[in-house]
Amino acid sequence: MKAPKVDLKELEKIKEDNFKERLKFIDQYSEWVKKNSNKKWSSQQKDLLSK
Amino acid sequence: MKFLDKNTIKLDKELNELDKITIDFTSILNKAKIQYTIISGYVAVVFGRNRASEDIDIFIEKIDEEKFSELWKELIKTFDCINSEDAEEIFNYFLKSGSAVRFAKKDKFIPNVEVKFPKTSIDLWGIENKKKLILNNNEMYISPLESQIPFKLFLGSEKDIEDAKYLYNIFKDKLNKSLLKQFSRNLNIEDKFKKYLT
Repeated sequence: MKAPKVDLKELEKIKEDNFKERLKFIDQYSEWVKKNSNKKWSSQQKDLLSK
Repeated sequence: MKFLDKNTIKLDKELNELDKITIDFTSILNKAKIQYTIISGYVAVVFGRNRASEDIDIFIEKIDEEKFSELWKELIKTFDCINSEDAEEIFNYFLKSGSAVRFAKKDKFIPNVEVKFPKTSIDLWGIENKKKLILNNNEMYISPLESQIPFKLFLGSEKDIEDAKYLYNIFKDKLNKSLLKQFSRNLNIEDKFKKYLT
């Protein structure tokens, strides 16, 4: 079995795009936190972090 | 979250496991009247960033062995030290040499609190200029966001940049912009600041 050739440039680009998407999500999430009550976001955070 | 004054933030929230261990640990430091500041990931998590973290990072002021011994007696009522059970060893071979020591709740390994003496000018500045956070009526002290955000960009991992962006988004109207700029310049991360935060 042979490992496939990889295009490192392509992988770097995908990595960068994924990171950009996560930063965009941080923008959306932080706006949501600011618009909602502490009780609402912290309740969801507690469920997530206490798993 | 509410700014009671320029040095005090009040936050009432549902507490998760990281919040609880931080409250327990810092209440012991408060009672012992030891100056400290919480830095790094937990500062983002406490204000709502959703990511797991296995530790809480704290700088405590450089104290002498006698004071550390008093602190140790209080800590080991609730916590185990992961590095050693010997207070003298912890003080002389870890803290005094600049290494971190970790404390976890009894019979647990994570989450844990990583404690260090300050080394750099930014570490010391963070303790001297710490901000009070009143979390569900529990007092604790955190490093100013004006240093935390640029320092996260300086560290530069994706996780750190995401933390910096989150904190900046949440607090951008409250931050001392001139101080933020100074830290960005001193840490040479002005390009990253422009790229990721603005």
